[in-house]
Amino acid sequence: MKCKKCGGKAVINMRQHNMGLCKDDFIQWLQEQTQRHIEKQKMFTLAEKVLVAVSGGKDSLALWDILVTLGYQADGLYIALGIDEGIGYSAESQRLTEAFANARDLKLHIVNLAGEYGTDVPTLAKQTKRGRDKPCSACGLVKRHEMNRIARDFGYDVLATGHNLDDEAATLFSNTLQWNGDYLLRQAPVLEERNGLARKVKPLFRFYEREMAAYALLRGIEYIYDECPFAEGSTSTYYKELLNQLENQSPGAKQHFYTKFLAAKKKGLFAESTVEIIPELHLCPKCGQLTSARAECSFCKMMERVQKK
Amino acid sequence: MKSTATLILRGKKYDVKAGSTLLSALNKLEILPESVICVRNGDLITEDTLIEAGETIKLVSVISGG
Repeated sequence: MKCKKCGGKAVINMRQHNMGLCKDDFIQWLQEQTQRHIEKQKMFTLAEKVLVAVSGGKDSLALWDILVTLGYQADGLYIALGIDEGIGYSAESQRLTEAFANARDLKLHIVNLAGEYGTDVPTLAKQTKRGRDKPCSACGLVKRHEMNRIARDFGYDVLATGHNLDDEAATLFSNTLQWNGDYLLRQAPVLEERNGLARKVKPLFRFYEREMAAYALLRGIEYIYDECPFAEGSTSTYYKELLNQLENQSPGAKQHFYTKFLAAKKKGLFAESTVEIIPELHLCPKCGQLTSARAECSFCKMMERVQKK
Repeated sequence: MKSTATLILRGKKYDVKAGSTLLSALNKLEILPESVICVRNGDLITEDTLIEAGETIKLVSVISGG
Protein backbone atom coordinates (compact mmCIF):
# COMPACT_ATOMS: atom_id res chain seq x y z
CA MET A 1 0.00 0.00 0.00
CA LYS A 2 1.22 3.48 -0.88
CA CYS A 3 1.13 6.65 1.16
CA LYS A 4 -1.70 8.85 -0.06
CA LYS A 5 0.41 11.98 0.41
CA CYS A 6 3.88 11.14 -0.91
CA GLY A 7 3.49 7.79 -2.70
CA GLY A 8 6.04 6.12 -0.39
CA LYS A 9 5.44 2.90 1.53
CA ALA A 10 2.47 3.17 3.87
CA VAL A 11 2.84 1.96 7.47
CA ILE A 12 -0.83 2.24 8.37
CA ASN A 13 -4.10 1.82 6.52
CA MET A 14 -6.99 3.86 7.93
CA ARG A 15 -9.95 2.27 6.19
CA GLN A 16 -12.46 4.72 7.66
CA HIS A 17 -10.61 7.53 5.87
CA ASN A 18 -9.76 5.39 2.83
CA MET A 19 -6.16 6.49 3.41
CA GLY A 20 -2.79 4.87 3.95
CA LEU A 21 0.14 6.98 5.15
CA CYS A 22 3.91 6.56 5.52
CA LYS A 23 5.62 7.10 8.88
CA ASP A 24 6.45 10.80 8.51
CA ASP A 25 3.15 11.77 6.92
CA PHE A 26 1.14 9.81 9.51
CA ILE A 27 2.92 11.49 12.43
CA GLN A 28 2.45 14.91 10.86
CA TRP A 29 -1.21 14.19 10.00
CA LEU A 30 -2.04 13.03 13.53
CA GLN A 31 -0.37 16.05 15.15
CA GLU A 32 -2.09 18.47 12.75
CA GLN A 33 -5.47 16.84 13.29
CA THR A 34 -5.02 17.07 17.07
CA GLN A 35 -4.25 20.77 16.75
CA ARG A 36 -7.34 21.20 14.58
CA HIS A 37 -9.59 19.44 17.10
CA ILE A 38 -8.15 21.47 20.01
CA GLU A 39 -8.87 24.72 18.17
CA LYS A 40 -12.25 23.71 16.74
CA GLN A 41 -13.54 22.54 20.12
CA LYS A 42 -11.91 25.52 21.89
CA MET A 43 -10.17 23.15 24.30
CA PHE A 44 -7.28 25.43 25.28
CA THR A 45 -4.80 27.95 23.94
CA LEU A 46 -1.02 28.23 23.94
CA ALA A 47 -1.32 30.69 26.84
CA GLU A 48 -3.09 28.23 29.15
CA LYS A 49 -1.49 25.70 31.52
CA VAL A 50 -2.45 22.10 30.73
CA LEU A 51 -2.19 19.16 33.10
CA VAL A 52 -2.03 15.85 31.24
CA ALA A 53 -3.16 12.78 33.19
CA VAL A 54 -0.59 10.12 32.29
CA SER A 55 -0.84 6.43 33.11
CA GLY A 56 2.18 4.99 31.31
CA GLY A 57 -0.12 3.72 28.56
CA LYS A 58 0.09 4.55 24.86
CA ASP A 59 -2.72 7.12 24.71
CA SER A 60 -1.73 9.42 27.54
CA LEU A 61 2.00 9.38 26.73
CA ALA A 62 1.23 9.98 23.05
CA LEU A 63 -1.04 12.88 24.02
CA TRP A 64 1.69 14.44 26.15
CA ASP A 65 4.18 14.00 23.28
CA ILE A 66 1.79 15.66 20.79
CA LEU A 67 0.96 18.62 23.04
CA VAL A 68 4.60 19.34 23.80
CA THR A 69 5.50 19.01 20.10
CA LEU A 70 2.73 21.48 19.23
CA GLY A 71 4.16 23.96 21.73
CA TYR A 72 1.54 23.77 24.48
CA GLN A 73 2.46 24.26 28.16
CA ALA A 74 1.77 20.70 29.20
CA ASP A 75 2.89 19.11 32.48
CA GLY A 76 2.11 15.53 33.51
CA LEU A 77 0.34 13.94 36.45
CA TYR A 78 0.91 10.32 37.40
CA ILE A 79 -1.15 8.72 40.18
CA ALA A 80 0.54 5.70 41.79
CA LEU A 81 -2.45 3.47 42.51
CA GLY A 82 -0.56 0.54 44.06
CA ILE A 83 -1.75 -2.14 41.62
CA ASP A 84 0.66 -5.06 41.60
CA GLU A 85 -1.17 -8.34 40.95
CA GLY A 86 2.13 -10.19 40.67
CA ILE A 87 3.31 -8.23 37.64
CA GLY A 88 4.25 -4.94 39.30
CA TYR A 89 1.77 -3.10 37.06
CA SER A 90 1.82 0.29 38.80
CA ALA A 91 5.59 0.20 39.41
CA GLU A 92 6.28 -0.46 35.73
CA SER A 93 3.76 2.18 34.60
CA GLN A 94 5.44 4.74 36.85
CA ARG A 95 8.93 3.78 35.64
CA LEU A 96 7.91 4.27 31.99
CA THR A 97 6.17 7.58 32.73
CA GLU A 98 9.17 8.94 34.63
CA ALA A 99 11.53 7.78 31.87
CA PHE A 100 9.35 9.60 29.29
CA ALA A 101 9.33 12.83 31.30
CA ASN A 102 13.05 12.72 32.15
CA ALA A 103 14.09 12.05 28.56
CA ARG A 104 12.20 15.17 27.44
CA ASP A 105 12.90 17.29 30.51
CA LEU A 106 9.16 17.64 31.27
CA LYS A 107 7.54 18.42 34.60
CA LEU A 108 5.76 15.44 36.14
CA HIS A 109 3.64 15.51 39.32
CA ILE A 110 3.49 12.15 41.09
CA VAL A 111 0.74 11.41 43.61
CA ASN A 112 1.49 8.32 45.64
CA LEU A 113 -1.72 6.98 47.14
CA ALA A 114 0.18 5.03 49.81
CA GLY A 115 2.18 8.10 50.82
CA GLU A 116 -0.76 10.54 50.73
CA TYR A 117 -3.48 8.37 52.22
CA GLY A 118 -1.77 5.20 53.50
CA THR A 119 -3.72 2.89 51.21
CA ASP A 120 -3.93 1.62 47.63
CA VAL A 121 -6.69 0.93 45.13
CA PRO A 122 -7.00 -2.87 45.70
CA THR A 123 -7.31 -2.23 49.47
CA LEU A 124 -9.91 0.49 48.93
CA ALA A 125 -11.99 -1.86 46.81
CA LYS A 126 -11.76 -4.69 49.35
CA GLN A 127 -12.55 -2.58 52.40
CA THR A 128 -15.42 -0.55 50.99
CA LYS A 129 -18.57 -1.43 49.13
CA ARG A 130 -17.10 -0.12 45.90
CA GLY A 131 -16.07 -2.71 43.34
CA ARG A 132 -16.00 -5.96 45.31
CA ASP A 133 -13.80 -8.15 43.07
CA LYS A 134 -13.10 -5.34 40.60
CA PRO A 135 -11.59 -2.14 41.99
CA CYS A 136 -12.38 -0.09 38.85
CA SER A 137 -15.05 1.99 40.59
CA ALA A 138 -12.75 2.94 43.50
CA CYS A 139 -9.93 3.56 41.04
CA GLY A 140 -12.04 5.93 38.93
CA LEU A 141 -13.14 7.85 42.00
CA VAL A 142 -9.54 8.20 43.25
CA LYS A 143 -8.29 9.35 39.84
CA ARG A 144 -11.04 11.96 39.38
CA HIS A 145 -10.51 13.34 42.89
CA GLU A 146 -6.73 13.54 42.66
CA MET A 147 -6.72 14.98 39.13
CA ASN A 148 -9.05 17.77 40.26
CA ARG A 149 -6.99 18.34 43.41
CA ILE A 150 -3.65 18.71 41.61
CA ALA A 151 -5.17 20.87 38.87
CA ARG A 152 -6.68 23.17 41.52
CA ASP A 153 -3.67 23.26 43.89
CA PHE A 154 -1.16 24.01 41.13
CA GLY A 155 -3.34 26.42 39.16
CA TYR A 156 -3.82 24.50 35.91
CA ASP A 157 -6.45 25.85 33.52
CA VAL A 158 -7.17 22.55 31.84
CA LEU A 159 -7.04 18.85 32.61
CA ALA A 160 -6.37 16.70 29.51
CA THR A 161 -6.90 12.94 29.30
CA GLY A 162 -5.92 10.47 26.59
CA HIS A 163 -9.38 9.09 25.82
CA ASN A 164 -9.54 7.98 22.18
CA LEU A 165 -12.54 7.38 19.93
CA ASP A 166 -12.73 3.69 20.87
CA ASP A 167 -12.95 4.64 24.56
CA GLU A 168 -15.67 7.17 23.82
CA ALA A 169 -17.60 4.84 21.49
CA ALA A 170 -17.51 2.02 24.09
CA THR A 171 -18.79 4.40 26.77
CA LEU A 172 -21.51 5.64 24.43
CA PHE A 173 -22.47 2.04 23.59
CA SER A 174 -22.72 1.17 27.28
CA ASN A 175 -24.78 4.25 28.12
CA THR A 176 -27.05 3.67 25.13
CA LEU A 177 -27.68 0.03 26.04
CA GLN A 178 -28.84 1.25 29.44
CA TRP A 179 -30.43 4.47 28.13
CA ASN A 180 -28.46 6.28 30.77
CA GLY A 181 -29.75 9.74 29.95
CA ASP A 182 -27.67 11.76 32.40
CA TYR A 183 -24.42 10.22 31.23
CA LEU A 184 -25.39 10.61 27.56
CA LEU A 185 -26.01 14.31 28.10
CA ARG A 186 -22.68 14.75 29.85
CA GLN A 187 -20.51 12.77 27.40
CA ALA A 188 -18.48 15.32 25.44
CA PRO A 189 -14.90 16.07 24.38
CA VAL A 190 -14.95 19.25 26.49
CA LEU A 191 -16.45 19.71 29.95
CA GLU A 192 -16.32 23.37 30.84
CA GLU A 193 -14.72 24.73 34.01
CA ARG A 194 -17.22 25.02 36.83
CA ASN A 195 -16.84 26.57 40.28
CA GLY A 196 -13.14 25.87 40.54
CA LEU A 197 -13.19 22.50 38.75
CA ALA A 198 -10.68 22.68 35.89
CA ARG A 199 -11.97 22.35 32.33
CA LYS A 200 -11.66 18.73 31.18
CA VAL A 201 -10.72 17.93 27.60
CA LYS A 202 -10.09 14.86 25.45
CA PRO A 203 -7.92 16.00 22.51
CA LEU A 204 -7.65 12.45 21.04
CA PHE A 205 -11.42 11.93 20.86
CA ARG A 206 -11.42 11.56 17.06
CA PHE A 207 -8.62 8.98 16.73
CA TYR A 208 -9.02 5.23 16.72
CA GLU A 209 -7.17 3.30 19.40
CA ARG A 210 -5.17 1.60 16.63
CA GLU A 211 -3.93 4.96 15.38
CA MET A 212 -2.74 5.93 18.84
CA ALA A 213 -0.84 2.64 19.22
CA ALA A 214 0.76 3.22 15.81
CA TYR A 215 1.69 6.78 16.75
CA ALA A 216 3.32 5.66 20.02
CA LEU A 217 5.29 2.92 18.26
CA LEU A 218 6.39 5.20 15.40
CA ARG A 219 7.51 7.92 17.82
CA GLY A 220 9.52 5.38 19.82
CA ILE A 221 7.46 5.97 22.95
CA GLU A 222 7.98 3.16 25.46
CA TYR A 223 4.62 2.41 27.03
CA ILE A 224 3.14 -0.37 29.09
CA TYR A 225 1.78 -3.00 26.69
CA ASP A 226 -0.11 -4.91 29.36
CA GLU A 227 -3.51 -3.59 30.17
CA CYS A 228 -4.45 -3.07 33.80
CA PRO A 229 -4.85 -6.60 35.28
CA PHE A 230 -8.24 -5.56 36.68
CA ALA A 231 -9.44 -4.43 33.23
CA GLU A 232 -9.02 -7.91 31.72
CA GLY A 233 -12.42 -9.24 30.76
CA SER A 234 -14.05 -5.91 31.59
CA THR A 235 -17.30 -4.83 29.98
CA SER A 236 -15.65 -1.86 28.27
CA THR A 237 -13.07 -4.16 26.63
CA TYR A 238 -15.88 -6.45 25.47
CA TYR A 239 -17.76 -3.50 23.97
CA LYS A 240 -14.60 -2.37 22.18
CA GLU A 241 -14.26 -5.84 20.65
CA LEU A 242 -17.89 -5.79 19.55
CA LEU A 243 -17.45 -2.38 17.94
CA ASN A 244 -14.30 -3.61 16.19
CA GLN A 245 -16.29 -6.49 14.69
CA LEU A 246 -18.72 -3.92 13.36
CA GLU A 247 -15.84 -1.78 12.09
CA ASN A 248 -14.32 -4.77 10.32
CA GLN A 249 -17.51 -5.28 8.31
CA SER A 250 -18.28 -1.60 7.89
CA PRO A 251 -15.24 0.73 8.00
CA GLY A 252 -16.12 4.00 9.71
CA ALA A 253 -18.91 2.49 11.84
CA LYS A 254 -17.23 3.42 15.15
CA GLN A 255 -16.51 6.93 13.97
CA HIS A 256 -20.06 7.48 12.72
CA PHE A 257 -21.61 6.07 15.88
CA TYR A 258 -19.72 8.55 18.05
CA THR A 259 -19.47 11.67 15.87
CA LYS A 260 -23.10 11.51 14.78
CA PHE A 261 -24.07 11.23 18.45
CA LEU A 262 -22.15 14.44 19.17
CA ALA A 263 -23.77 16.14 16.18
CA ALA A 264 -27.25 15.02 17.25
CA LYS A 265 -26.64 16.26 20.79
CA LYS A 266 -25.50 19.62 19.48
CA LYS A 267 -28.75 19.90 17.50
CA GLY A 268 -30.71 19.30 20.70
CA LEU A 269 -31.94 15.81 19.81
CA PHE A 270 -31.64 14.61 23.41
CA ALA A 271 -32.56 17.79 25.25
CA GLU A 272 -32.61 21.53 24.78
CA SER A 273 -28.99 22.56 24.31
CA THR A 274 -29.38 25.12 27.08
CA VAL A 275 -30.70 22.64 29.63
CA GLU A 276 -28.79 22.42 32.93
CA ILE A 277 -27.29 18.94 32.86
CA ILE A 278 -24.96 19.11 35.84
CA PRO A 279 -26.56 18.63 39.26
CA GLU A 280 -26.29 21.32 41.91
CA LEU A 281 -22.86 21.12 43.49
CA HIS A 282 -21.61 21.87 47.00
CA LEU A 283 -18.20 22.11 48.60
CA CYS A 284 -17.03 19.04 50.51
CA PRO A 285 -16.36 20.22 54.10
CA LYS A 286 -13.29 17.98 54.33
CA CYS A 287 -11.35 18.36 51.07
CA GLY A 288 -13.02 21.45 49.63
CA GLN A 289 -13.79 19.81 46.27
CA LEU A 290 -17.15 20.08 44.58
CA THR A 291 -19.63 17.29 45.17
CA SER A 292 -23.27 16.62 44.43
CA ALA A 293 -23.64 15.37 48.04
CA ARG A 294 -24.71 17.81 50.74
CA ALA A 295 -22.08 16.41 53.11
CA GLU A 296 -18.66 14.89 52.50
CA CYS A 297 -17.79 13.83 48.96
CA SER A 298 -17.63 10.16 47.92
CA PHE A 299 -13.83 10.17 48.00
CA CYS A 300 -13.61 11.45 51.59
CA LYS A 301 -16.33 9.05 52.72
CA MET A 302 -14.46 6.14 51.17
CA MET A 303 -11.16 7.15 52.78
CA GLU A 304 -12.86 7.59 56.16
CA ARG A 305 -14.33 4.10 55.99
CA VAL A 306 -10.93 2.57 55.21
CA GLN A 307 -9.08 4.54 57.86
CA LYS A 308 -11.58 3.43 60.53
CA LYS A 309 -10.87 -0.26 59.80
CA MET B 1 12.48 -25.31 2.43
CA LYS B 2 10.29 -23.74 5.09
CA SER B 3 7.00 -22.50 3.67
CA THR B 4 5.55 -21.00 6.82
CA ALA B 5 6.05 -17.88 8.91
CA THR B 6 5.30 -17.07 12.53
CA LEU B 7 2.90 -14.50 13.92
CA ILE B 8 3.22 -13.65 17.63
CA LEU B 9 0.37 -12.12 19.62
CA ARG B 10 0.68 -11.65 23.41
CA GLY B 11 3.45 -14.26 23.52
CA LYS B 12 1.41 -16.88 21.63
CA LYS B 13 2.89 -18.14 18.36
CA TYR B 14 0.86 -18.95 15.26
CA ASP B 15 2.25 -20.74 12.20
CA VAL B 16 0.88 -19.27 8.99
CA LYS B 17 1.36 -20.04 5.32
CA ALA B 18 3.92 -17.90 3.51
CA GLY B 19 2.87 -16.26 0.25
CA SER B 20 -0.50 -15.06 1.49
CA THR B 21 -1.29 -11.55 2.72
CA LEU B 22 -1.31 -10.60 6.36
CA LEU B 23 -5.01 -9.83 6.08
CA SER B 24 -5.72 -13.33 4.87
CA ALA B 25 -3.67 -14.84 7.72
CA LEU B 26 -5.42 -12.65 10.31
CA ASN B 27 -8.82 -13.63 8.95
CA LYS B 28 -7.94 -17.33 9.14
CA LEU B 29 -6.80 -16.91 12.74
CA GLU B 30 -9.96 -14.89 13.48
CA ILE B 31 -7.90 -11.92 14.67
CA LEU B 32 -9.58 -8.62 13.83
CA PRO B 33 -7.15 -6.39 11.87
CA GLU B 34 -8.65 -3.43 13.73
CA SER B 35 -7.39 -4.82 17.04
CA VAL B 36 -3.69 -5.18 16.16
CA ILE B 37 -0.69 -3.37 14.70
CA CYS B 38 1.65 -5.57 12.64
CA VAL B 39 5.39 -5.12 13.16
CA ARG B 40 8.17 -6.74 11.09
CA ASN B 41 11.80 -6.15 12.09
CA GLY B 42 10.71 -3.09 14.06
CA ASP B 43 8.77 -1.56 11.14
CA LEU B 44 4.99 -1.20 10.96
CA ILE B 45 3.47 -2.95 7.95
CA THR B 46 0.01 -2.82 6.38
CA GLU B 47 -2.33 -5.81 6.03
CA ASP B 48 -1.80 -6.14 2.28
CA THR B 49 1.86 -7.12 2.90
CA LEU B 50 2.80 -10.58 1.62
CA ILE B 51 4.11 -12.93 4.28
CA GLU B 52 7.57 -14.30 3.52
CA ALA B 53 8.75 -17.80 4.43
CA GLY B 54 10.64 -18.08 7.72
CA GLU B 55 9.92 -14.57 8.96
CA THR B 56 8.40 -13.54 12.29
CA ILE B 57 5.76 -10.81 12.53
CA LYS B 58 4.79 -9.35 15.87
CA LEU B 59 1.16 -8.37 16.41
CA VAL B 60 0.75 -5.60 18.96
CA SER B 61 -2.65 -5.61 20.61
CA VAL B 62 -4.10 -2.10 20.61
CA ILE B 63 -7.02 -2.49 23.01
CA SER B 64 -6.37 -1.22 26.49
CA GLY B 65 -8.68 -0.76 29.41
CA GLY B 66 -8.55 0.70 32.85
